[in-house]
Amino acid sequence: MRRRDAWWLAWPLLAALLLLLGYPIVYALRLAFTDPLTGASPQLVNFSQLARDPLFWQALRNNALLPLASVALELVTALALALFLSQRFRGRAGLRAIVILPFALPEIVVLAMMRYIFVPRGYANAALAALGVSPLDWLRPGSALAWATVVLVDAWHVTPVVFLILLAALAGIPEEIGEAAQLDGAGPLARLWRITLPLLKPALVAALLLRGVDALRIFATPLVLTGVEGVPVLSSYAYHQWADYGNDALAAAAATVLALLSVTLSVPLLRLRAEDA
Amino acid sequence: MALVILVTTLRRVRSTGALILLALAGAACGQREPTLTIAAALLPNELPAYREALRGFERENGWRVTVVPQQYAEIRRALAAEAVAGTGTLDLVELDVYSLPAAAADVAVLDEAAVTPPLDALAPQAVEAGRIDGLRFLPQRLTWQALLYNHAVLGAPPRTWDELRAVAAAHPGHIGIKGALYEGLTCDVLPFVWAAGGQADAFDDDGARAAFHLFAALAPYLNPQSATFREASIAEAQARGEIVLHLNWPFAMALFASQGLAPDPIRSAPLPRGPAGTATVLGGGYLAVPRRAPQRDRAVALARYLLSQPVQAQLHEQLGWFSARRDVGVGDGGVLLDGFVALRADVRARPGGRDYARLSRLWQEAFRAVAFEHSDPDAVLVATAERWRAERAAEAP
Repeated sequence: MRRRDAWWLAWPLLAALLLLLGYPIVYALRLAFTDPLTGASPQLVNFSQLARDPLFWQALRNNALLPLASVALELVTALALALFLSQRFRGRAGLRAIVILPFALPEIVVLAMMRYIFVPRGYANAALAALGVSPLDWLRPGSALAWATVVLVDAWHVTPVVFLILLAALAGIPEEIGEAAQLDGAGPLARLWRITLPLLKPALVAALLLRGVDALRIFATPLVLTGVEGVPVLSSYAYHQWADYGNDALAAAAATVLALLSVTLSVPLLRLRAEDA
Repeated sequence: MALVILVTTLRRVRSTGALILLALAGAACGQREPTLTIAAALLPNELPAYREALRGFERENGWRVTVVPQQYAEIRRALAAEAVAGTGTLDLVELDVYSLPAAAADVAVLDEAAVTPPLDALAPQAVEAGRIDGLRFLPQRLTWQALLYNHAVLGAPPRTWDELRAVAAAHPGHIGIKGALYEGLTCDVLPFVWAAGGQADAFDDDGARAAFHLFAALAPYLNPQSATFREASIAEAQARGEIVLHLNWPFAMALFASQGLAPDPIRSAPLPRGPAGTATVLGGGYLAVPRRAPQRDRAVALARYLLSQPVQAQLHEQLGWFSARRDVGVGDGGVLLDGFVALRADVRARPGGRDYARLSRLWQEAFRAVAFEHSDPDAVLVATAERWRAERAAEAP
């Protein structure tokens, strides 16, 4: 097929991308750099307003730290689960299905359930009370515990994605390598550290890249569990400006900052992937 | 005969495109009666009764009315989009009273003679809230907040600020306020400012100071979740027994009733009386004719019809809506809405200026500084007043 023919075939997709992706991005950028009062553009008035809002700085800080904690927890948990569930034993298939289940549930269902669990008179505190332990304020706005709860819930919901990537990669590692190492006297930890993990590195990097970029867009988990003010992130902050104050320009400016943050943090991950390839 | 003509015609039509054109032309010919489109913030269970109320208008005028149920925010955005596009499909819209200043530029100024009646039968306070550089908005339904308290725990509701302080001290951590950064917080703050004789657009008058000293006194007893509470989440918290009182709109009582929690143990009561009396914030849905409305005169006729006595009485009876008409009662809600009914004379409108959103945000931030960061109320109010004056001075031409 000639290159010109290929372009002809691709144009419907390109047109759709331009219309549904390109135009909104350009529009949002224009909005972010336009003074909503005078209509003058390009202006930095929205960004200077953001800089004066303490809630924005909290959102920015959380948007950098929450994904870090969440992805780290996901990688460790998923690796442990994948290593365990790659072994052969009775009931393995059932356990694998249970591990994948959280990801099969719609996000809003998971979050509504989690709210019922972690509200002050929820199931978590009922369980603590049954054990004779004082109740905890799991979702207290601005507290470290609320932050940890958001990380835990977010990780619980998406760990299956990382688990599946790592499980598939583990299945691709020939068993003979491990057996040979065992014959040479390598213990389980040495085999994990010197054989399994190096061979898993491409899958780990792929999972890190996939989840790292995705985690920056965190939105519903902190919003549903703690509200905008409890554990603010950039996307919930932008939503708050748009929905509560009708301030489209400030919302667009916050979204622009989030996009910049995503691009900036994605570059090292992409470099890592390229080096690995 | 008709069938023969149709078959003959079809044989002559060669292309599918022509067939489609024929169908469209037929549909257009069949649609003789004019259609008006109204976008209103209706819940799914409200829609049938609202449509039923419109039947009389359709019968009287021979016009069809299409009702588009949407949320207020969506209606506001559709209105703005039509204003920018220079063309529109909406003939009449219902907007939240809070969004009226922001929407004023996108709706037409109404000819007062054309809406009298019903203008002369409406509560003047409610009419004034719809006057922004001329009469633009007409109150289709009103609403206001009352105190929702747990009767089983408290016995009687606090009737004064002193009683409120005593209840808070007796139930630490169980006093709720909608403290999230949004308009609901302003609706919780302003009644106290007004009840102390303060003004909604002055941060450092005696009324504001008295109200904020009360907030500082209540702060240690607030439920920790108050910083993120909104209408729905605070009602949920009261249903779970995590708080014993809060301010909310009538919908919350309907919610409690559906859960078997109202009228017992949760009841409504007037807001606690302050040094200058009692006040509550006016809310509700206002009708407006968009600037780009295709059928402006017919839309005005529809608004007139919706505000007529029989229709308002019907909507009150079937949907429990409070009417702005003085000749439609609000006392038919039974014991459930007692507290709301008692507050009818104390309803006050928020300031209607175009910069209300910023004013409101400053009240929210001032409250949060006092209640959640435990800042000194006097210092916060002085700083907020200075900020408000500086912002207004910067914008002055």
